[in-house]
Amino acid sequence: MLFSALKRVFKHPTYVLFALGVSATVFAFATWLPNLTLIVEVMGHPNASLAQKLELPIALLGSITTNFTLLSASYTILIAILFGVNLALIVYLVRNRVATLKQSGTTAGFLGVVSGLFGVGCAACGSLILTSVLSLIGAGGALTFLPLGGGEFGILGVGLLAWSLYSITKQIKNPLVCSS
Amino acid sequence: MEETKTTNNLAIPIAIVLAGALIAGALYLGQRDGSTTVAPQPGQGVAQGTQELENMAPITNDDHILGNPDAKVVIVEYSDFECPFCKRFHETMNQIMEEYGPNGEVAWVYRHFPLEQLHPVKAKTEAVASECAAELGGKDAFWEFANRFFELTPSNNQTDLDTVLPQIARGVGLDQNAFANCIASGKYDEHVQNEFENAIATGGQGTPWSILVTKSGQKFPISGAQPYSAVKQIVDLALQEN
Repeated sequence: MLFSALKRVFKHPTYVLFALGVSATVFAFATWLPNLTLIVEVMGHPNASLAQKLELPIALLGSITTNFTLLSASYTILIAILFGVNLALIVYLVRNRVATLKQSGTTAGFLGVVSGLFGVGCAACGSLILTSVLSLIGAGGALTFLPLGGGEFGILGVGLLAWSLYSITKQIKNPLVCSS
Repeated sequence: MEETKTTNNLAIPIAIVLAGALIAGALYLGQRDGSTTVAPQPGQGVAQGTQELENMAPITNDDHILGNPDAKVVIVEYSDFECPFCKRFHETMNQIMEEYGPNGEVAWVYRHFPLEQLHPVKAKTEAVASECAAELGGKDAFWEFANRFFELTPSNNQTDLDTVLPQIARGVGLDQNAFANCIASGKYDEHVQNEFENAIATGGQGTPWSILVTKSGQKFPISGAQPYSAVKQIVDLALQEN
């Protein structure tokens, strides 16, 4: 079911390009996040040529091999791919005006998107979102007591995105029915 | 029926907007609050505003400087001997110095940023040991100690201090008794703590945390173990300054 639904969506090159674009954006964001200030500074630097402005963000993508553990690099890449595919499927659903999206499917998509973003944040910057939110209540130090130091949220993100993907493909495959 | 359809169609865009707002909010909060009640993370600190960089302690003769002290570009690195990302970045910085050091264009300043919460006792002891190496063997001994330490040790607080520290001291040619006494004396504890606090004050939230300083004083923050090609890009840009 999963593969036939994916096949149905991705036989359209537009959706392939869209998913690739989103995945690439999420991946780039994850690798750039620790150095956004640096990127902004270089982008606005009067002496920097256009080539230099383009080369730095590209070079920083290489931090996936130097600034990530094997685990965090793996779930960052997985989240980026799953997020891109997920969003393409959601757009497919919306564009095809599926009238009877079951509430459960929508909720799964919602949780998947949000949890995926949480996961990306975790992978990119040592649980950015959680530390930002938790720092307000002074509880961020708790992350150091987690066995994977917050990597758990990245893994959770992968799980929720996979679940979301499954739910959406089910919606795509299910025939339209009137529920009322 | 129509109402259900409208609600469902709106749910997805709302979810995406909400998620985006969440990220944006987190980014804003992360960058605004440099006071860090949170534990610093190795390798993956959060991007900071440039204003905090001005809190960097001035570079003096007491610093460990590799290369020309009057170089056009100085990279000040705040590092932790037990951090695996610092180990990787140490190699990157050695590569940078091989390329830009001989002609005096770039200098490397090493400061301590031991993350006690992640690497209790060991990271701080090793920082102190490196200071003792400098005291007993001179500035070159500090760099020999640092290079050898990163070569020999596995990081992540798995270093066997009782074996490794005497081994490095022997290799560097230090008086081993004086070295052990120096570490035990605690005379450099405050110095290490001051550098740690300075790292936090400049916006460092994880290791390695580096600040590239140009001749005119402009500062570029480099968070984490960025690849050689990225560091080289920033160095080349900084060298273009007149």
